[in-house]
Amino acid sequence: MKRFTLKSMGVAAAAALVLTACSGDADDTDSGEAYDPEAPVTLTFTWWGNDDRAERYNEAIALFEEEHENITVQGTFVDWDGYWTGRSTEAAGRSLPDVMQFDLSYMREYSENQHLLDLSPYMGEQIDVSGFDDALLQSGVIEDAQVGLPTSTNTLALFYNPNLLEQTGVDAPGEDYTWEDFNEFIAAVTDAGEQTPEGEAIYGGGDYTGTFWFFLQWLVQEGKTPFNDDGSFGFTEEDMTTFLELTASLRDAEQVYPVARGIQLLPLGGFTVNESASEISWDNFLAGYVADSGTEDIQMMPVPTGSGGDKAMFFKPSMLLAAGANTDNPEAAATFIDFLLNEPEVGRIFGTSKGVPAVAAQRDAMELEEGSIDATVVEYEEAVADHVTEPVPVPVKGFGSIEAEYKRLAEELAYGSVTVDEFVELWFTEAEMATQ
Amino acid sequence: MSTDQTVLGTAAAVSQESSAQLRRRNRSRSRLGSVGFHVGSLALTAVVLYPALWMLMSSLKPSSEIVGNVSLVPTGASLDNFVTALNGIGGVSFWTFFWNSVILAVGSVVGIALSSSVSAYAFARISFPGRNLWFSLMIGTLLLPFHVVIIPQYIVFNNLGLVNTFVPLLIGKFLAAEAFFVFLMVQFMRNLPRELDEAARIDGAGHIRIFTAIMLPLMKPALVTASIFAFIWSWNDFFGPLLYLKDPALFSLPVALRIFVDQTSTSDYGAQMAMAVLALIPVLLFFLVFQRYLVAGVATQGLKG
Repeated sequence: MKRFTLKSMGVAAAAALVLTACSGDADDTDSGEAYDPEAPVTLTFTWWGNDDRAERYNEAIALFEEEHENITVQGTFVDWDGYWTGRSTEAAGRSLPDVMQFDLSYMREYSENQHLLDLSPYMGEQIDVSGFDDALLQSGVIEDAQVGLPTSTNTLALFYNPNLLEQTGVDAPGEDYTWEDFNEFIAAVTDAGEQTPEGEAIYGGGDYTGTFWFFLQWLVQEGKTPFNDDGSFGFTEEDMTTFLELTASLRDAEQVYPVARGIQLLPLGGFTVNESASEISWDNFLAGYVADSGTEDIQMMPVPTGSGGDKAMFFKPSMLLAAGANTDNPEAAATFIDFLLNEPEVGRIFGTSKGVPAVAAQRDAMELEEGSIDATVVEYEEAVADHVTEPVPVPVKGFGSIEAEYKRLAEELAYGSVTVDEFVELWFTEAEMATQ
Repeated sequence: MSTDQTVLGTAAAVSQESSAQLRRRNRSRSRLGSVGFHVGSLALTAVVLYPALWMLMSSLKPSSEIVGNVSLVPTGASLDNFVTALNGIGGVSFWTFFWNSVILAVGSVVGIALSSSVSAYAFARISFPGRNLWFSLMIGTLLLPFHVVIIPQYIVFNNLGLVNTFVPLLIGKFLAAEAFFVFLMVQFMRNLPRELDEAARIDGAGHIRIFTAIMLPLMKPALVTASIFAFIWSWNDFFGPLLYLKDPALFSLPVALRIFVDQTSTSDYGAQMAMAVLALIPVLLFFLVFQRYLVAGVATQGLKG
């Protein structure tokens, strides 16, 4: 027994030594040396997305390597869920990739734990930000550090299917429609009682109160700031109750798209299988909608007007680029980020597949075919530019989980297993824990 | 004596006639029963196999017809999805993913068969100090959830510079870190008669000789069972390759499969189904070839020697 104790202590001590030795290595980042733009460097770069996006990125990387012969970029990609599993493990090991495609909802969390590099020292040096709108640039700032730079923008839009409207004989809402008008529209389409060729009932739309971002949009319209700088909420239980009550009558009359059918269709939805006439969503979803529904003709219009008589829309930065704080080559990483942000050729390669490019030079470089999906999305963002009067609400830490909780509760609400009051109470309890 | 014979004789006459009748009745009853049994079984099989069949048929449909559609018959069957799937993803061919999966699966099988059997021999046959304690510690690792060890493990492999290679996924298998298989083989070996190795020892054999000449041949059922499980688990493993493999050219099939379905851009369900079918074939073949060993192996595990 004694021998065993000694032996196991030896093993434990050795293990501890290995661990400390390793963490010692990881900590010292050599920032002292001067940057040599000609030195051979290998950068790791990762993104989420499908096959199509991978091909576009590979094309952009090839172009970059041609221009910067000393820099090799190792690109890697997985799907959205796998992406964040991978990043959180790497973050724990302080081994994040040099450059990452990043999402607003995870930015505060990673930034507060010092996982992301502050890019401000490289702005004006390697990274040219002159093409950015100031408000948009600000969306990548967390606690005075520029941890992300948006490559493109999205904004909310109401999508509707003119074929279904024609079948049901209901007109699309006018541009100044309010949330109440939108409710009436949904009810009218559902009450028309039409059916798809497969015999499924046609609905006017889903219960839009079930999406957290729409709640934020509505709050902004009410003149509220959803999240304060200190990470606390700028809204109360009453605000959420009011928003959820907007569609209470539609829910009671079963005029919104049924949740059970919606879940059966996942990952598609009622709108993409042509059983629901309208859906509010991000404008870059158009390409997916057209592909999934097989309907060429899908129209877009701005979101409903709030009680202030204002649409108060915002541009949500999408596909931000960030650098890992542990990178050994911050300058090279910055050079690559600059290339992806500003190079007109990159704009041509991607089109609007990642949203509308944030920098004008890339927008202009896109070869837009009249009536194509890319052109429609760009036209839409240009047309609603007057309505875009507010900055995007920068998500709090833990945003991913409070958004997921909201979605989960919304499903329960749709099934009728919680009331609006219970929803609000449960959500706030959960949210207070998640955002601490 | 004679009365006995008469009695027997009448009995035989009676039984000859009625037994033919009985047999006939019996046969028709058993035929009816067997028809019922088979119809019932087929119906149950259809229910259980429906998802697999749905996947197979969906791989022949265009993407827009797949989700939310429970029908099996495609309106216009085509092999387009298979063409897309075989073209690979982002410039990496399907066969690269396939080959990576094969390397990982075969590596796991070899590693587990080698290391677990040796460790099991030590636990089952060699008496060394603290053996029971080490054995319970090893069993204890079974209780550790995967998610608890994954981050420390990642940090260690990362600092050793082994991330983005197959080493982190295989090294544990070669070092008998898979407690389940060690346990399985220890239990099997404990049931083998000790007289065999005692006889070998008397003949002058050492541990190495006893292990290779006596134990290994007898352990065939356990080795086959472990190999089959190791192959299937490695082939289906998603999380490990997702964490440790960064270069798309090193991805295994389950990771590649997920890229076709991305909620943030357009999803190609058809190609995903096609690739799922292609990914399923090897594991299905493997199972078909080895299933009798698997059943035999598991059955032997349950027996007391």
